[in-house]
Amino acid sequence: MSTIDAASASPAPTAPPGRRAERQKSPRRFRVRRGLLYLTLCALLVVFILPLVWALSGSFKQRGDIFATPPSLIPSPATLENYRNLLTTQPFWSWFAISIGTAAIATVVSVFVCAMAGYGFAKFRFRGKRILFAVMFSSLSIPFAVILIPLFILVVKSGLANPWFALIVPWVAPAFGIFMMQQFIVQAIPDELLESARIDGSSEFGTFRRVVLPLLRPSLGALGVWSFLQSYNSFMWPLVIISNTSQYTLPLGLNILYASENRSYDLVLAGAVLASIPTILVFILLRRQLLEGLVAGAVKG
Amino acid sequence: MTTTDISNTDAPAARGGSAAPVPSSRRGSAGRRTGSLRGGAAPYAFIAPFYVLYVLFMIIPILAALVLSLTEWVGLGMPRFIGLSNYANLATDSSFATALANSLVYTLVAVIIVVPCALLIAQGLNAKGLRMRDLFRVAFFVPMVLSPIVIALIYSLIFDRDYGLLNASLDALFGLPHVDWLGDPTLAKGAIGFVLLWRTVGYLTIFFLAALQNVPAEQYEAAALDGAGRVRTFLAVTVPGIKPISAFVIVTSFIGAAQLFDEPYLLTKGGPGEATISVAMFIYRAAFERQQFGYAAAAGVVLFIIVFAVSQGLNRLLGIGRDS
Repeated sequence: MSTIDAASASPAPTAPPGRRAERQKSPRRFRVRRGLLYLTLCALLVVFILPLVWALSGSFKQRGDIFATPPSLIPSPATLENYRNLLTTQPFWSWFAISIGTAAIATVVSVFVCAMAGYGFAKFRFRGKRILFAVMFSSLSIPFAVILIPLFILVVKSGLANPWFALIVPWVAPAFGIFMMQQFIVQAIPDELLESARIDGSSEFGTFRRVVLPLLRPSLGALGVWSFLQSYNSFMWPLVIISNTSQYTLPLGLNILYASENRSYDLVLAGAVLASIPTILVFILLRRQLLEGLVAGAVKG
Repeated sequence: MTTTDISNTDAPAARGGSAAPVPSSRRGSAGRRTGSLRGGAAPYAFIAPFYVLYVLFMIIPILAALVLSLTEWVGLGMPRFIGLSNYANLATDSSFATALANSLVYTLVAVIIVVPCALLIAQGLNAKGLRMRDLFRVAFFVPMVLSPIVIALIYSLIFDRDYGLLNASLDALFGLPHVDWLGDPTLAKGAIGFVLLWRTVGYLTIFFLAALQNVPAEQYEAAALDGAGRVRTFLAVTVPGIKPISAFVIVTSFIGAAQLFDEPYLLTKGGPGEATISVAMFIYRAAFERQQFGYAAAAGVVLFIIVFAVSQGLNRLLGIGRDS
């Protein structure tokens, strides 16, 4: 993987120009310290990335080679057989569709709900604000395991165990997202803009939709990615709520492969790689969007 | 803390790719200066969707859990009211005691090991003129975007006694005998702690890095002029500067670890025996493997009380949600 090569190839403690003053003070000590820092960081990098590289490489190995001793990072011979088997013998695309679909719905709903509530808290004064805010704040310390059983009963008994509904329920109103939106709105949306929209006769919701949401777009992307990851990666809730194998999400699908008697590690590794592609892609998107949001906030704030 | 501080602390956190809010004096920012518009019913309309969902999927389930915890129910027919018996049984249930003790270990790992590690890494990444800061930051964060099942299966391959990467490497490099990482009660807890560290430390690092970058450079210069050493500077400048975010990191790490489920369930099935079972796993087993819904609900209520009390205490101790 190129990231690792790039990282380990240049741990040379060449100090950038800004450090000249310090170098003159004690060049040797500084260089030693800098070298140690790079060494430590690169060692950590290996700890963080090696398992992933190894799994990626394993997904291209023949079944018997995955556990070969000594372990190797280069699959030889490399094969796409694992991927082909996974996609032909398992309903992978169905798992994938349900996971992506429900995560997408949960994301859209929660982003909208959080943006609205965040806007309400960031830009208005109203009676009961402190207490309502405190109530929301305290909901951060409610463990999901507590509401797991009542929520399960609620969803099952009310006949809503349709996975498309059930799988989005826990993710639609995260207090976390409201804080995030509130912070972004305070930072990125000047009051004057809202005042002038009002003077122009815009309705409150019209202002929100036409002025606030467009300005918030980069932050909405960031929140969206966070919501998406929460839902897409969730394991415990789908595990209790989905009993019909035809409605499995990706994590549940991978779990049956993994927990099966013969531990089809070849398939499991290929599945793990495929399952991780959307989240990693989405993470790359998150970074870009956040940078844009920052620039926008800095220019206007 | 003023609103200017809030926007400052927020910005680097956002750039760092963390998708979480930065908790600088929340109640203050909500209650004091920022809300400038008076909108009659409008603000209520904006926050209403959240509170409707919140009541439906949070408040009602919690109340239901309280009621359910006073009953015996197997999932069919009507729940039978049995008073506080479930709680009395929990008090003498050795599995529950084990689960509580294990969850305590996981929270201690999270708060006492993972959080300081994240701060250390952030300190390293914050070094002036560091090259490839972004590469490190992204690499450390990647585990957080992966599904727990993906992480668990990779680590089950790594920790496997007969074929695992770890044993194979130790054998190849040092000729060490194979160790049953997930089969020994102590080692299995350690393995789960390590996976917890691996998954979360990079995420927390992002917060600390944002906080560190926000400490004004003049304060460090002033400390240097005063001849303060490293420790002094850290205690007098860094610690106060990163306090709001640290508080947030500590509380969320605690809450996350207190309800740990995926790692013990996937990596060890709670075993060997019950050596790695967590409270969330205890609840899951009671409800969905033994159909003791009332009993499981009672265990949930106990977890709720502990987590809520401790996190409120931590909030107060660390000054989250205070006006200044």
